[in-house]
This record gives sequence, structure tokens and C-alpha cells, in this order.
Amino acid sequence: MANVKLTIDGKTVEAPANTLLIEAARRAGIEIPAFCYYEGLALQAACRMCLVEVEKAPKLMTACTLPVAEGMVVRTNTPQVAQARKSMLEFVLTNHPLDCPVCDKGGECELQDMVFRYGAGESRFLEVKQHVDEREWSPVVFYDRPRCILCFRCVRICAEGMGVAALGVVNRGASSEIAPNRGDHLECDECGMCIDICPVGALTSGTYRYRTRPWEMQHVGTICTHCADGCKTTLGIRNNRIHRGNNRDRSGVNGEFLCIKGRYAGDFAHHEERLLTPLVRSQDGFKPVSWAEAIKTVAGRFAEIRQRGGKFGVIGSNHTTNEENYYLQKLARTGLGTNNIDHHRTGDVLSLLRARVPLATTADLYHSKAVLIVGVDLAQQHSFLAYQIRANWRHHQARVYTVRRGPVREDKIAARIVSVEPGGELAGVETLRDDLAKEPELVILFGDAIQGEAVARLTEFGSSLGIPVKYVCLVDYSNSRGAVEMGVLPAEGGMTLPEMMAAGDLDALWVVGANPLRRHALAGKPFLVVQDLFLTETAQAADVVLPAASAYEKSGTVTNVCGEVQRLQKAFETPGTKTDLEIFGLIAREMGLDLKQLGPWTPSAVFAEIARTVPGYDLPVEVLEAGGAVQAGPSDGLPDAVWAPVQSAGDTLFTSGTLGRYSKMLNAVREAPGELYRA
Amino acid sequence: MPNIQEILGSAAAIAKGMSVTLREMVSPAVTEGYPDEPPRLQERFRGTHILERDENGLEKCVACFLCAAACPSNCIYIEAAENTETTRISGADRYAKVYNIDYSRCIFCGYCVEACPTDAIVHGHGFETASYNTSSLIYRKEQLLRPVKT
Ligand code: SF4
Ligand code: SF4
Ligand code: SF4
Ligand code: SF4
Ligand code: SF4
Ligand code: FES
Repeated sequence: MANVKLTIDGKTVEAPANTLLIEAARRAGIEIPAFCYYEGLALQAACRMCLVEVEKAPKLMTACTLPVAEGMVVRTNTPQVAQARKSMLEFVLTNHPLDCPVCDKGGECELQDMVFRYGAGESRFLEVKQHVDEREWSPVVFYDRPRCILCFRCVRICAEGMGVAALGVVNRGASSEIAPNRGDHLECDECGMCIDICPVGALTSGTYRYRTRPWEMQHVGTICTHCADGCKTTLGIRNNRIHRGNNRDRSGVNGEFLCIKGRYAGDFAHHEERLLTPLVRSQDGFKPVSWAEAIKTVAGRFAEIRQRGGKFGVIGSNHTTNEENYYLQKLARTGLGTNNIDHHRTGDVLSLLRARVPLATTADLYHSKAVLIVGVDLAQQHSFLAYQIRANWRHHQARVYTVRRGPVREDKIAARIVSVEPGGELAGVETLRDDLAKEPELVILFGDAIQGEAVARLTEFGSSLGIPVKYVCLVDYSNSRGAVEMGVLPAEGGMTLPEMMAAGDLDALWVVGANPLRRHALAGKPFLVVQDLFLTETAQAADVVLPAASAYEKSGTVTNVCGEVQRLQKAFETPGTKTDLEIFGLIAREMGLDLKQLGPWTPSAVFAEIARTVPGYDLPVEVLEAGGAVQAGPSDGLPDAVWAPVQSAGDTLFTSGTLGRYSKMLNAVREAPGELYRA
Repeated sequence: MPNIQEILGSAAAIAKGMSVTLREMVSPAVTEGYPDEPPRLQERFRGTHILERDENGLEKCVACFLCAAACPSNCIYIEAAENTETTRISGADRYAKVYNIDYSRCIFCGYCVEACPTDAIVHGHGFETASYNTSSLIYRKEQLLRPVKT
């Protein structure tokens, strides 16, 4: 679009025509205060904080709705504008309680900052302020009417950003207030987007409210450990405890987006049932032992089995780090001499990597002109990816196609919807051929409905469209993709996970951060070692249980569903636990394995080895260190790995595998997942 | 041989000096008898802190953490909690579940008192904090609170 020239405060500014004045000023380094204007959301013009003087306009204009024009002369620093700001703030404060000392927002409140910068020093309002009691809308969202400044950011982020539209405004004038969709309570995604976007302390969260204050916490940016989307979450830590997660600095692939899990479900790490000491089975149940003794027990048995040429099985995790996955498979292959290593496969990444087609990034979902979603309830299972696509539809009018078994939220924004019976997904995709071929570009996302042969047929279909097509193979858990690429898979001749469980003749089974007994029965009686956070079904059957640290308690890298590699930052410690990487190292050392050949068990050293040996992982460390995301390069398709059927964990917004059971917040929400848009 | 003037001058000086001495002998003493008797402290003396109560006996502290933020020696530790229908500790939404001051670090500067928006923390006149055990220098809320009037 053509640029126009205008003058703001005597400064000549150039901006594309149709830019809003407030944006043009911001880019030129001139701040125009605003409450209701929010980048990326519909315009509201409710707060009048952004009033500015425009030459030849009879009165002050709202900069948040005014597009720039050629020759426009704007002044933001006149006494009249200063007076207008002061008056608007007086209006906002008429019924505002001014209880900053007990308000959760104190210290990071936009209203505090605005009054400090632009407000009047004193209040002229002597009348009694209207008081309304605070209300608990849901275990997550609390609303305090007197603090609300009616900027409608919450209403818009919920309707536009989340596609939920659970909030509205009721009543008129001074009694206007925000109301939840079920009258007295809220049924929604419980994502907390509204809480975070609220400029004041009107919306507060059940996890954080009244616990601490923003400046009392350390803010540690790490990656959410729940689903595979890899959102960056900034954890507020005080006293070795997570008090909240948010991402107000909009860094990471997800910007400010987080679902309930990234924001509030870090509480699993502090659950009372968390394992804090190693356990060894004796005649009468588990006996707590020291780390040294537990490691000795495990290493002793492993060494003995190895010596007599016994049979090992190793089940890796899809939420440990790349470094841990890599080290485990190396230890299993070289140290234990076994090829029986696998993990719970939740999506057919292997077949997609072998098809050697371009893979989409999370940013591609926001920019691609067209998106096809096959066989998955994206808003439930991949909340962030769904958010990206919704934003793409709103901002760039992307065309969205869905091929699904039942109603999904994406139907609302879909250009075409294809209903299919289970197994009919590929045929359903075929019916879209003519529409898709007309698109300039396409991203295809598919879940576990497409696997094995079907992946090859889907990519053939994509190639035959004659347009650039990129793919996303949807997987669950924070590092499923990394588990595949690091080689936590059997090579030819090795056993897959179901085969190991059914084998009956294993001498030892080593399970790291997984709960296979939830889905499979274990035949035989191997020496069972389990590394986990909790006494899961599998851990209960173990001979030795080693308490592991969670993803929030370690450093390393993880690879998200789009293949983007990001770094974890250790946020706190749970005394008694050890990271899986350290446990591997200790066992290897105790077994007397060749440590030179295994390499040191520090995340950075292991990552350096990964960069050297894993195709596609020679990534710029400085970008990762700075908190950036880099998509792993093309892989070699893992020619040795054995293919096996995949099965999605079927998690919803409010479940997260075994981990979700231990999050009080996830268990406190009342909604039936997905009910909202089915009704 | 001293002359008469010198003699008289010396006698006058002695008399003057003795008059001050005698005057001070009969006026009240400024020296304090501490520790045999309690010290006399100025009203504004900054001693160990007191956490005040309001007229209803509720704690004035609302756990806003501002004192802790103002404290230059970082010696105030607070844990906040929410008042409920059944247990009301302070007059506002929240209260300090834990409130510790570490007197091994406090420099009695008074910044915390200055910062408090509810006048919940004031300096008392306590100063006998010496101890053989530094861990006993961390005063807990129970030690700092003004006793309930009976
Ligand atoms: S919303 Fe902001 S201005 Fe209002 S009481 Fe809370 S911190 Fe103070
Ligand atoms: S928590 Fe999320 S879904 Fe619920 S009302 Fe707020 S923005 Fe909407
Ligand atoms: S609750 Fe917060 S975000 Fe919503 S209208 Fe009120 S002030 Fe704005
Ligand atoms: S979408 Fe996934 S990665 Fe993002 S916050 Fe939610 S659970 Fe975490
Ligand atoms: S008197 Fe000064 S050093 Fe002592 S607690 Fe108060 S602010 Fe801290
Ligand atoms: S920012 Fe312009 S009216 Fe609110």
C-alpha cells in the first residue's frame, strides 16, 4: 500500500495508508496512551484515552480509530490533550476502589502507570463509591466489578482470539459490567487469556490471586510441558513454587497465547503425591532408600543381566528433553546392548519424515493462505495451533477446510466442511481437490487418523495439487517429535513398545517418564525400573522407582509438533528428585560403562553431540540460548527405524496424559471438554 | 613570687568552676542508669517493629509486600493468604499468613514504616535483641503483633 506522510508533534512520519494513527505514532516512538485499543483485536473506541488534536478537526479525535492521511497534522502534547487525558482518568477512577495494595495487578497495572504519568494528583470525587462484591465465575476466573474499566479487551480476546465468546457486557452506564456466558458462572476454555489481557485487576486467576506480588517472583521463561505445541510460558516462581504462568512479553512462538495448561497447570509439580525419594520393592511393599542405594540396585541388576546376555527393554518418554532422549537411546544401544527401545507413538511423524515433504512452522499457520485440518479436534487437542489458524482467518482471511468426524470449533471459520466416518478421511480430503487446487498455498494438518500408507497417499495428494504444500503431523505431549528424531525407536530387529509389553521373556524393562501399563498389560516378570514424577500404574508395578524432575526443573531442548526446537529453562528445584539425564549418567557410571564413549551428562554437552550426529539438528545455539525457536532441518527419514501403528493420547483442553491427574486446577474445572461448541 | 592579682584570679576561676559543679550536683542527672533502670527513649525512637491492629482487633497488615519492597536490607519476608468467610484475619481481601523480620539484618531505617499504606507496621521501642543464636533473630508475626486488648 502507498505510504502517506503526516506530522506528529512536529515530527514527519511516514506510514502505509490506512495505518491507524495510534500505530503510526507508536512506530515513530510517540506514545499515545490507550486502554481499549489492542493490537490484533477489533476496534472498540471505548476508553477515550487516546484523544489527540488533529489540525482542522473541530474536536479531539480518537487516535485508535483514525487512519492516517496525507498531510495530516497531529499534536499529542498540547495542554488540551493533557487535560483530556486527566479528565478521562478521573472518569475511570470515579468508582475505582484504589486498593492497589491488595490488588493482584498492583505493580504491573496499566491504570496505575497511566494515572502516574497522565492523571490528576488528587481525586475530586467525594461521593460514596459503588461497591459490588467480587465474584468467582469459575475455579480459574474471578471478576471484581469495581476495578473494571470496561475496556472490553476480555470480551474481544475471548470471542475473536479464542473463538469462545463466553464474555459479554450487561447493564448500562455506571452499572455496566462484564458477564459470563452462564449467568452466574463461566463455561469456557478456562484459558485465562481474558485475565492476562485485562489492563487492571478486574479479572484475577484462582491460582495466583492474593498469593504474592509480581516483583516478589522470579520470572523464568521456559516451554510448557503439556502438549506438543511448544508454547513459551513465563513462570512466576517464589520459594521454589510456581505461582502462575503467562507470557506478557509475547516472546516465543506463541506470542501471548497460552491455554489453561500452560498458564495454570504447572501445579502438578507441587502435588503432595510427588515422589521425593527412590523406592525399592521389598517383601512388604516399597521401601524408601537413598539415591546411592537405588542406583546401586539398578546398576547391579543391569550389569548382571548384561553379563549373562539377558534381554533388555527400554521405553522412553515423550516429554523428556531431546538431550535425555538421545542419551537414553545411546545408553541402551551401546551400554545395554539392546535395540528394544521405543516410546508411546502418538502421531505418524516417521512416515511424514520419510515422505520428505516440506514441514510447516507455527508461523506458517498464521500466514498460509489456506489450511486443511484432517481428522482432529484441533481446538481441544492443539489449542495453540487452532489459535494461530483462527488469527490467520481473522487477519488474513485465510480459507480453512475441515475434514472431521463430528463438529469441531474450526467449523465456524471453515470455507468448507467435510463430514466423514472413521477411516473415510482420505476420501473426504479427495472431495476437496478442486477447491484446494485453486489455493495459492496450503498447510495440511493431520492427526492419528492418517497413518502408515495413508500418510504417503496424503502427501501424494498434496503434491498432485500443483501448489506449495506444507505439512504438520499432529502428535501429543511436549516432545514426541523429539523422541522420534532422537531415535527412541527400535531399529530393524528391535521390539516396539507393544511387543516389549507382550514379550514375556524380558529380563529387565526400563521405563522413563511413561506409563505403558495404562494401555497395555505387561506379560512376564522383568526387573522393572521406572523413572517418573508420580506413582503411576507402571511405577506401582516397579521393582525400583526413581523420582524424576519435571520439565520445569531442568534445562535442555524440546521439539514441538512443527519441529521447532526450543530451550527449557530450569525454574526451580524439588529436593529429592533428579533429572532423567543425571539418573542415566549415574546408572551408567555405577555399571562401569565406558563414560568417555557415552559423553558427559550435561545438557549442553549432549546437545553438542546431537548437533554433530542427528541430521537436521545442527542448529544455531545462540538463537536457542536467547530463547528463540528454530525449526529442525530436513531429517534423513530415519531409514533404520521400525514403523509401528500410532495412537493419539486423545487429550482434551483439560487433560494431559498421566500428568493432568495431578494438576488440581485441571481437575477443578467443571466443563465437559468440547461441549461448548457441540451444543 | 606571685602577686596578689594572680592569687585572686585563680581563686575566682576555682569558684566559677566549683559553682558549675555544685549546680550540676543538685540538678537532675542526665546519665541513665540502664541496665539497672529502664532507659528513657524518645517517642520517635526506631526499635523493633510492632504490627498494629485496627479498632476491631483485626490485623492492619494486608500483605501488600510494599515494606518488603522498600526494605534496603531485604529482611522482611511475607507470605500472603486470602481471608475467607470463616476466618477473617485482616480488614481487606488478604492478610499476611507469615510475616518475618530478620533482625540480624534490619538497620532500623524506618523505610518499611514509611512504605506501609495502612500504617500496619510501626517502630516500637524494643532494642534488646542481642542473642547467642542468630536464628532467634528472625522475629515471626506472632512476636511482632500488638497483643489483643482484653
Ligand atoms: S486495578 Fe490497578 S489501579 Fe486499580 S486497584 Fe488494582 S492496581 Fe490499583
Ligand atoms: S478463560 Fe478464556 S475462554 Fe474463558 S472467558 Fe476467559 S478468554 Fe474466554
Ligand atoms: S474485566 Fe478487565 S479486560 Fe474486561 S472490560 Fe473490565 S477492565 Fe477491561
Ligand atoms: S497449547 Fe499446549 S503448549 Fe500451549 S499452553 Fe496449552 S498445553 Fe501448553
Ligand atoms: S527498618 Fe529498614 S531495614 Fe529494618 S525492616 Fe524496616 S525497612 Fe527493613
Ligand atoms: S484507545 Fe482509543 S478509545 Fe480506547
